[in-house]
Amino acid sequence: MLFRTLTLLTITLCFCHLSQATEAVQVDYMLNCQGCHLPDGSGFPRRNVPAIKNHMGKFLSVEGGRDYLIQVPGSAQSDLPDKELTQLINWMLLTFSPTEIPKDFIPYSVNEVSELRKFPLINVAEVRQTLLERISNYEKQPTAN
Amino acid sequence: MITKWLDEITERSTRKKARQTSRRGFLQGIGVFLVGATAYPLLPVFRNGAFAAEPSSLVEEGDPNNCNYWRHCAIDGFLCGCCGGSATSCPPGTVVSDITWIGTCQNPSDGKDYVISYNDCCGKSGCGNCACQRDARDTPIYRPQNSNNLNWCTGSQADAPYHCSLSVVIGVKE
Repeated sequence: MLFRTLTLLTITLCFCHLSQATEAVQVDYMLNCQGCHLPDGSGFPRRNVPAIKNHMGKFLSVEGGRDYLIQVPGSAQSDLPDKELTQLINWMLLTFSPTEIPKDFIPYSVNEVSELRKFPLINVAEVRQTLLERISNYEKQPTAN
Repeated sequence: MITKWLDEITERSTRKKARQTSRRGFLQGIGVFLVGATAYPLLPVFRNGAFAAEPSSLVEEGDPNNCNYWRHCAIDGFLCGCCGGSATSCPPGTVVSDITWIGTCQNPSDGKDYVISYNDCCGKSGCGNCACQRDARDTPIYRPQNSNNLNWCTGSQADAPYHCSLSVVIGVKE
């Protein structure tokens, strides 16, 4: 009986969830990011797909990190127009990494994103490594949130 | 003394059980268990959030084992439905690749664009049945996130070799 109720509940939930259109910004995530970063943003570290979940927001606390999130190839070189990319990055930060975002976080503006993506990163791995070290140092500070 | 006592208890409980249950009932129980144990691994399960459950309200027409089926608008490979699985589940003995490519296809039944996840099933050699090649909005391999020419088995926990491809509905565009 319990099993039957649970099954019915699951089916009902699925029905409600998908009978309405998927949010446009989430469709952008699905079509441009989800294939590798996975539906919950957990990434796939075993194959060098970086985690977004509980991680992305950390970049905002270190020098160069805010630029990096836009200049990284997956962002800068995506098919998305500036406006959609801006909405998507802001949405991803708030959806997958809300607790890591600094308290004084200002969402990206379209102009900012438009300017930043004109200069995509060439040496991605190197820049990323530097930023990860900065994040690690930042987290060791007693004042880090 | 103790053995006699044990014998009596066992005999009484066995006879009681025999009175209360039928032999066919016992066989039935075993049967249900055996069928259940065989069928359980075939049930569609939610694997690690690899893809969302399909909408039960989805209205669609056509044969999922035909290349022209609406969901396969950008598939490149063997249809899992012709390989012992279905359009949404991997055949036994293969593992779904979580890392995948995602596109959209228009459903002729309602005219809406649906987001389709083309997960590969991996771990057995190429299935060989129902080879399909449809390339709606497929991009060259230097834009890998929208390319159907990649073997996605190599990018996931599932690992090569490639066996067949799924077409799972994961969202609806407005």
